[in-house]
Amino acid sequence: MSLQSPLGKVLGNGAAKEGAGHWWAQRVSAVGLVLLAPWFVMSLIALGDLSYVNIVSWIASPVNTVLLSLLVLTVSYHAQLGLQVVVEDYVAHKGIRMLTMLVINFTLLVLGVLGVFSVLRIALTGNH
Amino acid sequence: MAQFSLPANSVVNPNGNVHKAPSGAKDVRSFRIYRFDPESKDKPRIDTYEVDMGSCGPMVLDALIKIKNEVDPSLTFRRSCREGICGSCAMNIDGVNTLACTKASAEIKGTVKIYPLPHMPVIKDLVPDLTNFYAQYASVKPWLQTRTPAPPDQERLQSKQDQEKIDRPSACILCACCSTSCPSYWWNSDKYLGPAALLAAYRWIIDTRDEATGERLDELEDPFRLYRCHTIMNCAEACPKDLNPARAIAEIKRKIAERKQ
Amino acid sequence: MSAYEFVDHSYDVVVVGAGGAGLRATFGLANSGLSVACVTKVFPTRSHTVAAQGGISAALGNMGQDDWRWHMYDTVKGSDWLGDQDAIEFMCKEAPAAILELEHYGLPFSRTEEGKIYQRPFGGMTTQYGTGPAAQRTCAAADRTGHAMLHTLYQQALKHEAQFFIEYFAVDLIMENGECRGVIAIDMSTGTIHRFRAHMVVLATGGYGRAYFSCTSAHTCTGDGGGMVLRAGLPMQDMEFVQFHPTGIYGSGCLITEGARGEGGILRNSKGEAFMERYAPSAKNLASRDVVSRAMTIEIREGRGVGAESDHIFLHLEHLGAKVLHEKLPGISETAKIFAGVDVTKQPIPVLPTVHYNMGGIPTNIHGEVVTLRDGNPDSVVPGLMAVGEAACVSVHGANRLGSNSLLDLVIFGREAARHCAEVVKPGKRHKPLAADAGDLAISRIDRYRNAKGGLKTSQVRLNMQRVMQNHAAVFRTGDSLQEGVEKLDKVIGSFSDVSVSDRGLVWNTDLIETLELDNLLGQAAATINSALNRKESRGAHAREDFPNRDDANWMKHTLSWVNAQGKVSIDTRPVHMYTLTDDVEVVPPKARVY
Repeated sequence: MSLQSPLGKVLGNGAAKEGAGHWWAQRVSAVGLVLLAPWFVMSLIALGDLSYVNIVSWIASPVNTVLLSLLVLTVSYHAQLGLQVVVEDYVAHKGIRMLTMLVINFTLLVLGVLGVFSVLRIALTGNH
Repeated sequence: MAQFSLPANSVVNPNGNVHKAPSGAKDVRSFRIYRFDPESKDKPRIDTYEVDMGSCGPMVLDALIKIKNEVDPSLTFRRSCREGICGSCAMNIDGVNTLACTKASAEIKGTVKIYPLPHMPVIKDLVPDLTNFYAQYASVKPWLQTRTPAPPDQERLQSKQDQEKIDRPSACILCACCSTSCPSYWWNSDKYLGPAALLAAYRWIIDTRDEATGERLDELEDPFRLYRCHTIMNCAEACPKDLNPARAIAEIKRKIAERKQ
Repeated sequence: MSAYEFVDHSYDVVVVGAGGAGLRATFGLANSGLSVACVTKVFPTRSHTVAAQGGISAALGNMGQDDWRWHMYDTVKGSDWLGDQDAIEFMCKEAPAAILELEHYGLPFSRTEEGKIYQRPFGGMTTQYGTGPAAQRTCAAADRTGHAMLHTLYQQALKHEAQFFIEYFAVDLIMENGECRGVIAIDMSTGTIHRFRAHMVVLATGGYGRAYFSCTSAHTCTGDGGGMVLRAGLPMQDMEFVQFHPTGIYGSGCLITEGARGEGGILRNSKGEAFMERYAPSAKNLASRDVVSRAMTIEIREGRGVGAESDHIFLHLEHLGAKVLHEKLPGISETAKIFAGVDVTKQPIPVLPTVHYNMGGIPTNIHGEVVTLRDGNPDSVVPGLMAVGEAACVSVHGANRLGSNSLLDLVIFGREAARHCAEVVKPGKRHKPLAADAGDLAISRIDRYRNAKGGLKTSQVRLNMQRVMQNHAAVFRTGDSLQEGVEKLDKVIGSFSDVSVSDRGLVWNTDLIETLELDNLLGQAAATINSALNRKESRGAHAREDFPNRDDANWMKHTLSWVNAQGKVSIDTRPVHMYTLTDDVEVVPPKARVY
């Protein structure tokens, strides 16, 4: 039982003076996805032949390399922002919350870097 | 984790006492009402009251009062003005948070199910503990803050257009229907201020007489206090006064974003 | 009594009630450096002040020339010369500053084109001492001025970090040798009993409209302060004067503001006639409330009522147009829709005179100090006790209150009570120990009702009382009917000893609370109907058909009524103050009251 005053509880540690950046980034990255995701899908449809060789050479074109890298980064970033909200919503225990966020952030970072590196490797080396 | 498993005493016994309508009643409706007595060890239960609507007023509150007067004086709920302005009789009726005094029984199909406002500690029957809700309201400093002294023999002037902006937001009756309908508030009511308190904050943010807009926005800019709003819009749906807390919250977010550009 | 234990508190001042007057007093006191607690049975913004609609009067002159002296003249005339003129002068003179103060607190008043506070016409408010056109004197926040005011006052109380005891029900005063030493209250959430010691107790408990069957008052308007005062052996004043608001919605009794007529609404009978032109040729629909209520009652009696039973009147607003209705009367548009199923832009609202306000109350002087008649002194102050708002009778409303003077009464006398306390109470003064039996009255009553095992439900006794009051102390009264009412009410009061309370719990026992409230109502109902029987003249809201005229020679005096534990009423009088406070204005001499 806590005997702290109700107002004291509500005021807590005060306002973090942040959150606007997160909120704004989530919207900006969403706009990025709205543009990049349809581009990706339409490109694949337009490509028609989805054979390995054909895809690799499509990735290797400079515009596609850049846009695809951006898509991978945006997806990771947006997923990170979104999952953070979900975790904050539903994981009340501070320690578990921090741990969950670390795992999520690390995983998404690895996936993002791995994705971009793969795209670049295809583009720069032509190695499959 | 959010508490998905419920404590034992929150499991409701669906088969509580049944109070039959008096013989000769023609237009009978069943009211299934949540009952919880903190002084007994029993689980909460749902009691059924059959009410003769022929001798009952049109609103759900009329039925509750009729039950309390004639059948079961221990049925406990808050009520006062009975015209939708004091905000006392907010409860969950037919799955929707609203005021019992302005909700007509005839608008509800079948059995009328009445529960306290969701996800609040229950003191007794339909009486929730609103302490945290009121503290959240107080936390936004809901009073005029100025540095320019008031003119001694005159009002602070305000244009009609500027007054109209605060006209609706200041009509909130603090019934808590909105906040307690918000899932985000259910999970994080300890840190998220909820739609009612944010609407109150907004009312002062847009009041042209107030000179603490910046400080008010500072105090709200927080991942939990403000940004737990995920535009679910239940608040706007629930408000018995047709106010729109969701829009007020969106406006606060826009104002905070704007001042960074 | 040992089964009950007290939780003790000590404050310089305790305010009971958190409506407009209680809140204004509370933060005024908090601001003055006195320690103050406000004990209230509902959360402050649920108090009945919230339901006031039309506005608050003050001669600001924002919308045409105005003068506080004209406001005073109108109020004296409205009171049918039963109001104390020193108090009325004080209220009307202080009004503009008090309203500007509310604006400075942030109250969201409607505005004029120049950005000033919007003011609308209201019943009985005129210019040039009644000879000029209607005054626009009633400051409004659309049609929810009471809501705006109550919330603003609560916000100020938060700002001043005032101490509240919310959902605590005040049971009885602690009286010691004629002095008030504090108050006993039940914490409804736990059932514990709290004993508040205070150098001053300020009662701001509101009216007792629920003594009647049909009223605009909230369920919580049970005159708890009046009940406590009567049990303390002190009198109530002018209890026969009960205001019937002309426009309560037929059926539900919900209020339709006088502001609706202020904005141009018209009352019509079954012939479609705007009948008020016959009763009040110059003020018409904006005559004083008692006048309009009587006119409506006569129309209905003479067979010109509307509806299947010809038992009500129509209030027409359609001609005002949707824009005005939306801007100026949004709340009543909604209320009419919900409670009468009427679209005010197309159909009239069915209305009926409905009990609305108690001009009578706990007698006080202009500082809010409770007074009584003692040893021939009609202004003998009761030490340690004050009363403000509808609970009090200063008397600024006399025999009939003008619309929009009530919210004004709350802020003026709430503020004055705080100011006066700051003058007479020394912060932190030590409390004498209480007498050994302090609180016994409250405990004995709580114990009796908690264990009451009689044959009558509280609601049955209450309904019986309400029917007697509705039938025998209504708009028009006669000696025979009042006498019959007195006898019937005596029986009802007698039956109260056979009451039963079935909820035996401690936590939120509303069955017990409603029984304690009923006890308060019964005493005041008795005071009302006996005072009405006693006053053999017609004045303001008290219209005796057997004595149709005002009788200044014999009856220009306040009624004092004491009610003993058996419900027996004894009556005496106090003189009306026919003098002013200062030389700023002259006494308004009595004359015929025509609108």
